Amino acid sequence: MKIEVLYPEVANLYGELGNIKYLQLSVPDAEIIETALNERPRFLDEDSHIDLVYMGTMTESAQIVVRDVMKEFLPELKQAIERGQRMLITGNALEIFGTRVHDVETGDTEFLDILPFHTERDLMHRYNSLYIGKYEDISIVGYKSQFTHSYADGKFEPLFQTVRGCGLNPDVMEEGIHYKNFMATYIIGPIFVLNPKFMVRVLEEAGGKDIHPAYEKAAMEAYEERLAEYSEPDRGFIY
Amino acid sequence: MGKFRYGIALLAAKMSVLALKVTKHNGTNFPGIVALRICPDFLKYIHKPETIIGVTGTNGKTTVSNLLNDLLSKLGRKVLNNGMGSNINTGIATCLISGVSLFGREKYDTAVLEIDERSARVLFPYVQPDLMLISNLSRDSIMRNGHPEYIKYILERYMLEKTKLVLNADDLIASSVSEKNPRVYYGIDQMPGDFTECRNLINDMQICPKCHTKLKYKYIRYSNIGKAYCPNCDFKSPEYDCVARNVDVKNMTMEYEGGGEKAEFALLNPSTFNIYNQVSAITMLQQMGYSLSEIKSAMEKTQITASRFGVHRIGDKAIRNILCKEKNAYAASRVFEYVGEQPGDKEILLFNNCIGDTHHWSENTCWMYDCDFEFLADDKIKQIIVYGDRGLDYKLRMLIAGVPEDRITFVKDAADGVSKLKMIPNDNIYVFYGTDSFNLGMKTTREAEAAVRAYNDAHGISSVNDENNEEEA
Repeated sequence: MKIEVLYPEVANLYGELGNIKYLQLSVPDAEIIETALNERPRFLDEDSHIDLVYMGTMTESAQIVVRDVMKEFLPELKQAIERGQRMLITGNALEIFGTRVHDVETGDTEFLDILPFHTERDLMHRYNSLYIGKYEDISIVGYKSQFTHSYADGKFEPLFQTVRGCGLNPDVMEEGIHYKNFMATYIIGPIFVLNPKFMVRVLEEAGGKDIHPAYEKAAMEAYEERLAEYSEPDRGFIY
Repeated sequence: MGKFRYGIALLAAKMSVLALKVTKHNGTNFPGIVALRICPDFLKYIHKPETIIGVTGTNGKTTVSNLLNDLLSKLGRKVLNNGMGSNINTGIATCLISGVSLFGREKYDTAVLEIDERSARVLFPYVQPDLMLISNLSRDSIMRNGHPEYIKYILERYMLEKTKLVLNADDLIASSVSEKNPRVYYGIDQMPGDFTECRNLINDMQICPKCHTKLKYKYIRYSNIGKAYCPNCDFKSPEYDCVARNVDVKNMTMEYEGGGEKAEFALLNPSTFNIYNQVSAITMLQQMGYSLSEIKSAMEKTQITASRFGVHRIGDKAIRNILCKEKNAYAASRVFEYVGEQPGDKEILLFNNCIGDTHHWSENTCWMYDCDFEFLADDKIKQIIVYGDRGLDYKLRMLIAGVPEDRITFVKDAADGVSKLKMIPNDNIYVFYGTDSFNLGMKTTREAEAAVRAYNDAHGISSVNDENNEEEA
C-alpha cells in the first residue's frame, strides 16, 4: 500500500501523526510518503496509485498556508476527489475543503469551495467533548476539541452517525463528510489507534488485504474499555 | 458607585482572609473570588505597586517568578508576589489584596506576578505590567490551551503597547509575540550536547513563517528550542541582546553578556531548562536597571526552586517520586528523557493519570501521541507499571513506542501496583505522579518504601542507609 501524508510539518497537532506510526506498524510493508508544503502531492497523478491520503489538524494560520498551497493545484485536487481518491482528513483540516470560515471577530476567510459547507469560528470559546458514533457497523470513539463548527450548505453524506456527542455542529447528529472516497471528520488525535476496527476497515476499503492492527490484543482491550466507559449513561461528555 | 463597591469588596476580602486563618483553611484564591464577586472591576481600583513585572509562558514561570521575587528582595525592593497562590485573576486579586492595608494603602513597591497565559484577557486591562517575561510557549492541555500559536494570539490580543517584553530568542513562538512592543531577547549560545535535528515528537516551528520552507537549526535542544534559520530566505531567530555563553555544566559556570556588560555567573542548576530560567531572570533585572555585579551578588545568595524530587535510599534500592504533569506532553517528555538517561536499572510506577477527568468525564489521551514515550524504550528500564482507566492506553502507547510487552504491567487498581515491583538488585524505583494525582503519588511512594524494606528484610538485604533526601532535575 502507498499512503501519502500531506504536510506533516504543520498538520501534526494533537498527536495525530500517531495515526501514521500505528498504520506503519500495522502494515509494515506500506510505503509512507510524507509530502512537504513545497512539494507536489503524488496523489494528483493518477498513475501514482496512492491508496490513502492523510492530513491532520493544524493551527489556524497553517490552514491559510495549506489553502494557498492547495489553490495552486485546485482543479487537479477536485479531479482526484471526483475520480475517487481515498482521503482521510481530520480535525480542522476539514475546513479547508469548505467554502469559508466565518470568524466571529474577523469575518470571512475564503477556502477551497470543494464541498458545500461553511465554518463558524469563535476563538474565545473552545468546544471539548467525547464522542461515540458509527461508521457502518463499527462503533467509533474519539475526542473533539475545537474553536469551530461547520454547517452544511448543500447535500453530502456524513462520515459517522453520532450516537453520543455532536455532529458537524451541535445541532446535527451527522458527523464529518463522506463524498465518494473523501472522508473528513472533526474527531481529533490518534483516531486509528483508538479505533483499530475503523483503521482496518479504511485500509481494506483502500485495497489492503488481511490487515491486523499492531498489538491487536492491547489495542482492542483499550478500545473496548473506552467504548464501555463512554457508553455509561452518567459519564460526563462535554468538558 | 464603583469605588464604594470596591471598598466593600476590599473589606469583605480582608475579612475572608481573617476567617480562613481562624478556621485554618487554605484558600489561595478565596479572598480574590470574594472581591471580584462583589466588585467585578475590583482590579481596576485596587492600589498596585509602582513597578509591575509579569512572568508568563507555558513552562518555567513559577520558577522564574520565585527567583525574581527572591533576587529583588535581596536587592532591597519590597516585593509582592503571588507565589503562594494561583496565577489567574482571582489569585492575582488575592495577591494584590494582601499588598494593601485595610484602608487600601499600598505596602510594596514592586509586584512580581506569575500570570497564566490565558488570563491576559481579564488581567491586562487593569493590571498593566511594565515588563513582561515570556519564557516559552509550548503545547499544554489540548482542551484548555489548544496549541501554542493560540496562546500567542491571546497574549497579543490583550498585550499593552507600552509593556516591554523580555523574550526567549530560542523559542520562535514566544519571541514573536507582539512584534511592535519594545523588547529584549535573551538566549543561550551553542552548548555541548546540542543537536541540529529535532528528536522530539513535538516541534511546533518547522516551517519558515515568511516563505514556508522547512527551517534548519544551527542548534536545537528540545522540541523547537534552539537557533533556527531559513535556508531559502533571510528569516532567522532573533539575535541575542543578552546571552549566556560557554556554559560549563561540569564546573557550574556560564558567561553572561548583555547591556554592554559581561560577567561570569555560577549556574544555579545544571539543567538546560533552568539555565534558561536563570538567564531570563538576569536579563529582566538588567532591564530594571541593575548592574551585573549587583545581580551577581544577589544571585550568589540565592537558590533556584528546581524541579526537586524526593529520593529515599533503602539499602541497595532507591525510591524517587517525580512530578510528571498529566496531559502535558512537553513536560512529560522532559521527565521521560531525564529518567531514560539516568544510570542503573529502573522500575517505573507510571501513575500520572488525570484523576479529575476520571471522575467527571474521561481523559483526552491525544497528548500521549505528542509525548516522547520512546525515551522509555530503554533496556535499563526493566518494568513500567500502569493502572486504571487509562492504563490500557498507556500500555498501547508504550508498545507503539517500542517498549517490550513483557516490561509493561497493567493493574486495574493503583493499590496493586507496588506488589508487582520486581525488586531487582540496586533497583531504582520511580513513582511518576501528576498535579491531579499528587496524593496518589505520595501514597504509592510510601507503599513502595515499605515494600522495599519488607523485601530486603525477607531476603537478608541490609536496609541500612535508610534515609530521605532530595535530588534535582
